[in-house]
Amino acid sequence: MPSMVVLATTAVPDHVHGALSRWMLETMPGMFVGSVSARVRDLVWDTVSAVIGDGAAVLVYPADTEQGFAIRTAGERRRRPYEVDGLTLIRWTAQDGEAEEHEVPW
Amino acid sequence: MTGPARRRLAAPSVVMLPRVADSLSFLYLDLVRIVQDETGVHARIDTPRGVDRIALPVAALSCILLGPGTSITQPALATIARHGATVVCTGAGGVRSYAGILPDSLTTRWLEHQARAWADEQVRLRVAVAMYEKRFGTGLPPGTTVAQLRGLEGQRVKALYQQLAQQHRIPRFRRNYDPARWEEQDPVNLALSAANTCLYGIVHAAVLALGCSPALGFVHSGKQHAFVYDIADLYKARTTIPLAFALHAASNPEQQARRRFRDELRLIKLLPRIVTDIQQLLAPEEADPVPDHEAVELVSLWDPELGVLPAGVNYAEHSIG
Repeated sequence: MPSMVVLATTAVPDHVHGALSRWMLETMPGMFVGSVSARVRDLVWDTVSAVIGDGAAVLVYPADTEQGFAIRTAGERRRRPYEVDGLTLIRWTAQDGEAEEHEVPW
Repeated sequence: MTGPARRRLAAPSVVMLPRVADSLSFLYLDLVRIVQDETGVHARIDTPRGVDRIALPVAALSCILLGPGTSITQPALATIARHGATVVCTGAGGVRSYAGILPDSLTTRWLEHQARAWADEQVRLRVAVAMYEKRFGTGLPPGTTVAQLRGLEGQRVKALYQQLAQQHRIPRFRRNYDPARWEEQDPVNLALSAANTCLYGIVHAAVLALGCSPALGFVHSGKQHAFVYDIADLYKARTTIPLAFALHAASNPEQQARRRFRDELRLIKLLPRIVTDIQQLLAPEEADPVPDHEAVELVSLWDPELGVLPAGVNYAEHSIG
């Protein structure tokens, strides 16, 4: 049964856009939405993550979890899923030697 | 051996527990600083690289447990309260519960069930019986009195002590928690007292998260923590008692009991279970979660004849005479 999938990509090779547009709508630059079966979703994801290069991609799809969805990521970015006892939060990791971009006001 | 353990101790933990009935979801934090920035509440973690941030879904939480090493700013606290989440200050891994901050938007639904059941002798006995049944997984004949209940309970616990003593080849065991003669106690008693204190901490956190009173106990009474003792008793046979007997040869049984509970966050994992059990005991017919769209938060007025009436209505014209 097909279910909704959101796939966001940054800095992926051009041909990936074309390939993804065969299954999904590019609603914003790099952001694809579609309704596909789990098989197609996995196939698309495997292909995208294999050609990711220096880019990054994140896939969000419905899953039988507490939160109702699951996240997959490919490529290294500062936002990383942070798994805690079956729930996923996002951890924004600091970079080496970088001062904080702005002080927290409170 | 100490390497990983030390790292684990030094590493901040963020443990989020699944939602249970009534959309309760707990988040345990330690060794982080919690701040409100312009748009959200973040946990900030110091790492050798700099500061990592984790956005906390405070609006989706019911209770946040602050373990040691956390600090929190007033605006963060205010945002959490605005979303109706309870904040409880706990010891490491939830082993103690020091203070709770209840938001004024927290529902009084469970407190009302508790007070009603507590004030009615018949219902109170029914809850006490249900507690016993939950504890030992057996039914009781109808018409069982409280005195009989206490007797049965005593027998059960004694049998459990005997069985565990045999298993661990302890010649003779007698429960003793006399604070005046603390030093003379055997390791099992010390471990059991320490472990029970941990259990009280987590139960207290659960009671606060629901907005119930820790003082209105059904089996216990007359203490500020009577209800906490009632609920904690449900889990001792499966948690603290076997743990204490396993520590019969420990050199520092109290510390080890606390550590064993803390390290695997065993207590914190108990939380959703405790919440569901309290709900089932107080109002079995209502323990199922209310569907989201029906759970509208409204202030109501109470009428002994008409039940609950909507507030925000001028009733001057409705009154007779």
